Amino acid sequence: MPSRITLSTESSAAMAKNKLKVFRAINDLTQEALAEKVGVSRQTVIAIESNKYNPSLDLAFKLARLFDVAIEEIFFYEEEGEANGKA
Amino acid sequence: MNNKTYQKYRVGIAIFTSVVVGIAVSRDNTILAIAGVVIGMAFMGVVRSKTKIELDERQKMVREKAAQVSYAIFAPTIGLGSLVLILLAPEGSYFMEAIGFVLAYLSLFFIALYAISHYFINRKFGGDGEE
Repeated sequence: MPSRITLSTESSAAMAKNKLKVFRAINDLTQEALAEKVGVSRQTVIAIESNKYNPSLDLAFKLARLFDVAIEEIFFYEEEGEANGKA
Repeated sequence: MNNKTYQKYRVGIAIFTSVVVGIAVSRDNTILAIAGVVIGMAFMGVVRSKTKIELDERQKMVREKAAQVSYAIFAPTIGLGSLVLILLAPEGSYFMEAIGFVLAYLSLFFIALYAISHYFINRKFGGDGEE
């Protein structure tokens, strides 16, 4: 029997982070424009950029293809306490 | 019609319906209240049919979580509520007992519905063990 059902998708020790804001700035896109290009709402882009929401693989691939980079360059997994910005 | 326009229409229809129902209640006019609700629903149906409503993955996830929390709160509440009403109803209070039984059947129906939908959704997402 599972001990506990949690509503959180994040583990306490590690967390998926991203550099979406950086890539968006490099490509001179607004949140609205990026959202339209990948078929999501602006709120979703905001949530991803602020690490409040982890996108699906499908959306992650779309973003990677849009910026013409590998997924790992945008999204990375970081243990708590590690330096920020590590790809 | 896009999502933003749809939201504006929706708010407009909701205001219209609540104003009509409010007037109907203040004048004690049942027919006007029913007509207001029916017209509001009809307008909403027309607006919805003209709109292509798109939900993105985050909005879907929000709905899933909201449904999960609602179920986690509602099912035990009506289950325990029915138990309390049946067991603690004063002698001869058939009305409270009847409400208790209705709530008990409702909670059973709710749990059964959850189990059935869980079974089929689990199968849809590969939980049937087939390779």
